Amino acid sequence: MVAMSDWVELNIGPHHPSTHGVLRLKARVEGEMVREVEPVIGYLHRNAEKLCENTFFCDNIIYFDRMDYVGAPGMEVGYLEAAEKLLGVFPPERAVWIRTIMAELSRIASHLIWLAAFGLELGMLTPFFYCFDLRESILTIFVEASGSRLLTNYCSIGGVYQDFNEKITDEVEKFVQDAPKKVEEINSLFIKNDIFISRNKGIGVLDKNVAIEYGVTGHMLRASGVEYDVRKAEPYLAYSKVNFEIPTSTKGDNLARYLVRIEEIRQSIKIISQSIKKLPEGPFFNPKAKKSMMIRLRGDGEVYARTESSKGEFGVYIVGDGGVKPYRVRVRSPSLRNLSVMRELGRNVMIADLVSILGTTDLVFGEIDR
Amino acid sequence: MSLLSRTYSIFSILGYYASTFITYLIDSIILLLVAAVAIILTIYFFRKYMARVQLRIGPNRVGKYGTLQLIADALKLMGKESILPRLRDDLPYKVAPILVFTGLMIAFSLLPYGSFFWIGDVFISNSGVGIILLFAVLAIMPIGELLAGISSHNKYSLTGALRSVAKDISFEVPMMISVLAIVVMASARTPESLNIASVVSSEILPYGILQPLGLFVFYIGMIARASYSPFDMGESESELVSGYSTEYSGMRFGLFYVGMFGTILLGSFIVSLFYLGGYNGPYQWNLGLIYLLIKAVVVIVISFTVWLTMPRIRIDKFVNLGWKYLFPISVINLILAGFLTLYLGW
Repeated sequence: MVAMSDWVELNIGPHHPSTHGVLRLKARVEGEMVREVEPVIGYLHRNAEKLCENTFFCDNIIYFDRMDYVGAPGMEVGYLEAAEKLLGVFPPERAVWIRTIMAELSRIASHLIWLAAFGLELGMLTPFFYCFDLRESILTIFVEASGSRLLTNYCSIGGVYQDFNEKITDEVEKFVQDAPKKVEEINSLFIKNDIFISRNKGIGVLDKNVAIEYGVTGHMLRASGVEYDVRKAEPYLAYSKVNFEIPTSTKGDNLARYLVRIEEIRQSIKIISQSIKKLPEGPFFNPKAKKSMMIRLRGDGEVYARTESSKGEFGVYIVGDGGVKPYRVRVRSPSLRNLSVMRELGRNVMIADLVSILGTTDLVFGEIDR
Repeated sequence: MSLLSRTYSIFSILGYYASTFITYLIDSIILLLVAAVAIILTIYFFRKYMARVQLRIGPNRVGKYGTLQLIADALKLMGKESILPRLRDDLPYKVAPILVFTGLMIAFSLLPYGSFFWIGDVFISNSGVGIILLFAVLAIMPIGELLAGISSHNKYSLTGALRSVAKDISFEVPMMISVLAIVVMASARTPESLNIASVVSSEILPYGILQPLGLFVFYIGMIARASYSPFDMGESESELVSGYSTEYSGMRFGLFYVGMFGTILLGSFIVSLFYLGGYNGPYQWNLGLIYLLIKAVVVIVISFTVWLTMPRIRIDKFVNLGWKYLFPISVINLILAGFLTLYLGW
């Protein structure tokens, strides 16, 4: 414990170049050392869960788009897993595979944003643009499929908004061919740099037990040595039919988290390349959820569904009272749990390391504050 | 003949005091204009080069190929309101950017730039102790940064300034020792071994080849002096917003910005003068300035590439680097230089 007079309280955020939007970190610093850090959230609260109660089941997707806005289709999948279970309307085979492809594309898109921002946090300017260059080819697919770059609103209850046509499958195949080379190029910019290694090796070590206690999921848990991924543990969509691995590491430091994420990008590309080959023919929406029928769908009971979003385990809990609108919607945000562990990680580190640790946690505030 | 004495001889008819005053006034204006153009070209080149590296196009709207973009930026900065923090220490707050800029300008006036066709030798002043003077003037700049950090009364600024100081003391000693090795080596060839022009003229074989260790230490020092990535801990945008210059806006910020690019330019001149043979070249056709510029541009391109690809090093690691690696290396370099000069007569 440091004497009160030696502290300086340094506010990092809510508007600061490295806080990914609107996080505020109250850091008690002593010279260059951060003794304690307290995250303050709530600056981007939009009441999304409450808004969901006033909207039809089919329209709630847009609020989920705006949660993890860097990888919107992944969030839509998370909501629909729950909503479809409640409404009893399930998508046909082709829509399931299309959703798998979109979810994995959004995972890559989200990871690329993280990689770009992480580079900037460490002072590397160039990888940022390389990441966005690769992300651009994913956004082209999103535009082709849904008409929108960021907030796609592509998946709908009982299927998807629009079928994958020839052009989209070509784009996806092209992406699968080009992406691995580009990912390796970006990776080499980071991993071959001694300063990058020295800034990240052994920094921000998250113990396995601490991670489990805090409910940390996603890459942070896997980097700490727990092989847990909802896609394997409780397969949804078409994940049981494709072949992929869960990258793990036992180190638990920044570098391990970085390596796990890079490997996740590679595995996602692998999933997409398998899915696009296995994409079956057939209808892309359930006739029970035609556009005219959609707002008449009624749900009764409670459901909880979890999916592996790009940040970790994303859970959606919906209560229906037999009406056309949900009675209650609740979201388990992975980023919030990953952020809460900052108190442990941000103890007795340097200011520079605090920023890089914050970088590897990969927070998106749309999802934390909702 | 230096620019100072040339101008003086033109105005000497007015008597000592008046002509001295007019000489310094005119020469300062010439220096300021030439340096401003050179720095603007450096920034333009940086932005274009950075854009190419980063799969972008760079400035291309204002003027042909965006050449006037920097002029537009400078005008914008001048037109902007300079927001002053309420709790500032007024005098140091206002003096700090001027100190940084002035130190840089004086340093430019001390360098010899070689000869250029009919103009002859291009230099403003030719001091007998130019090397000492040059590094003494360069040592003013960190004081400006420190003053800026302390007088802003901002936690980010203060931390940035302290980092700057910690950085400066850990690289300047090795850097000065490696310059000393050059003086040692030059002393065997020229009687005026502290005069920059005669040191460079004695450089038949570039000192960078004779003292690769010295070049290494000095170049790292120059990067740290200009404080860009990987040694931009003082500003470190993602950690301390922008370090000691956080509270500055308008042209006061512009002076820091210009100071940074000016230091890159100056550093590349100094490195090419001391280590790469300066204005010496294969043919003696009064092409010295061209040779110097070519070498400086090569050094600048290397510096920019380093800037764009390296992450920021942590301050404690840099202090380690300075005292545990650069310092011993520079001492070894000095001993080697003395040995070569004394016993082999190189």
